[in-house]
Amino acid sequence: MSTKLDLYKTHKAEYVTPRQPALVHTKQARYLVIEGKGAPGNAEFQACIGALYGVAFTVKMRHKAGGGRDYTICKLEARYDCDLENTPKANWRWKLMIRTPEFIEEKDLREAVETLLKRGKSPEVKAMALESINEGDCVQMLHVGPYEEERESTEAMRRFAETKGLRLVGPHHEIYLSDPRRVPPERLRTILRQPVRA
Amino acid sequence: MTLRTKPTTLRFYKECLLRVLVHIQQHLDEPIELQTLARTACLSPHHFHHVFTGMLGESVAGHVRRLRLERAAMRLKLSTTPVVQIAFGAGYETHESFTRAFRSAFGISPIQFRKQKGVSVRVETPSAVHYSPKERPTKFRVVKSEKSMNVTIKQIKPLRVAFMRHVGHYNKVGKTWDHFLVSLGKDGFIGGSVQFIGITHDDPGVTPQTKLRYDACVTVDEKFRASGEIGVQKIAGGDYAVLTHFGPYESLGRSYTELLGQWLPRSRRCLRPVPCFELYLNSPESTDPEDLVTDIHAPLEPLTI
Repeated sequence: MSTKLDLYKTHKAEYVTPRQPALVHTKQARYLVIEGKGAPGNAEFQACIGALYGVAFTVKMRHKAGGGRDYTICKLEARYDCDLENTPKANWRWKLMIRTPEFIEEKDLREAVETLLKRGKSPEVKAMALESINEGDCVQMLHVGPYEEERESTEAMRRFAETKGLRLVGPHHEIYLSDPRRVPPERLRTILRQPVRA
Repeated sequence: MTLRTKPTTLRFYKECLLRVLVHIQQHLDEPIELQTLARTACLSPHHFHHVFTGMLGESVAGHVRRLRLERAAMRLKLSTTPVVQIAFGAGYETHESFTRAFRSAFGISPIQFRKQKGVSVRVETPSAVHYSPKERPTKFRVVKSEKSMNVTIKQIKPLRVAFMRHVGHYNKVGKTWDHFLVSLGKDGFIGGSVQFIGITHDDPGVTPQTKLRYDACVTVDEKFRASGEIGVQKIAGGDYAVLTHFGPYESLGRSYTELLGQWLPRSRRCLRPVPCFELYLNSPESTDPEDLVTDIHAPLEPLTI
């Protein structure tokens, strides 16, 4: 039996957690994604998280039951495709994502969604998609504390990019290392990632 | 509604365990049966061992071993019986194993002990219960909790769960979970909002490790039907005392003992004679063992007015 695949460990260099901004290079990666709009944490956001995990779990277990290689379900990630500083939270556009191995294909997703719908699970699963994202060079740092206090960290990342002669491009990306339902806000660990170009 | 006298509080639990302590001293040479002890205590066998360990600061087996060694110490002092015979009498098969156990309890070998003057035949213990040839224990000191415990009482609605039974050592439970989750997960029964639960039917302090029964459970709706190795059961609703355990599953036993042996006797509440359950709040697959969070649920009798 082959060993369990853990994508975060395989791509260790992409998941570094420096306390000060640093440059990282990321390669193309595949994600299960679902999009929505509104303040993070609102009912739609929560329902989408539930649906995303349900699909991720079902895809994995179907793959494993069919004799495929076992893998760890990665952490929740999100990309925010709007100017977070100047947009009211109610208008934020987000994409919730869970990184998924390359051997998971469209067909796997479709079959998992059908299976879940047959069991009467949440209709949100229908909106799930598989997407390959290539962020390339990024500025990245670990933010410890409440999500509301990310501004200081994002500012530091912007200044760091400037000193390197880089400009910020593409959506702001967050990788949630802690579970906000279990960990007190001051101890939440989140990787902040911002794609940059020269 | 029937009014019952409420057999709660520390005194109730002390009386329960005192009966057990008397029973043990009167049957020191017989095998210790969990069922008998639990019955003597009028406590459910599901919970008995943790209550005992939490209140006395030692396990049943440890307690019996210590009393037998104290009795052996007394025999060394008051008789000329050969050490080997005393060793057999204390339940040891060889002179060496007895000497080892004796030394770890008293700090010196049985032969030195016999020669030395002024040594105590008692091993210090938090409960202050010692072997006595004639007297029966009439009281004991309840071990005090070293830290404050954050126990909340929650009202739980009945839960319908699919389950797969594991029999054997707890450290193999992961395999059963693997098998169980693939079976359920591939058929779409694990959506976003299911709960992952473990039911421990036996006590690892008493039941042999090869016979420990554990149910891996996932909440399911009314439509789910049992099939093959997967059964369905209901977890009764009602009041539960809940203690959150932080850290690896291997140390869950300590939290059970704190909840049932230290919090419960001072709580003015009584246990229902059904097993406790564990609610797993994060996944052992993607979480470091020290970051695991588990809510231990102990079933309580309703409060009688």
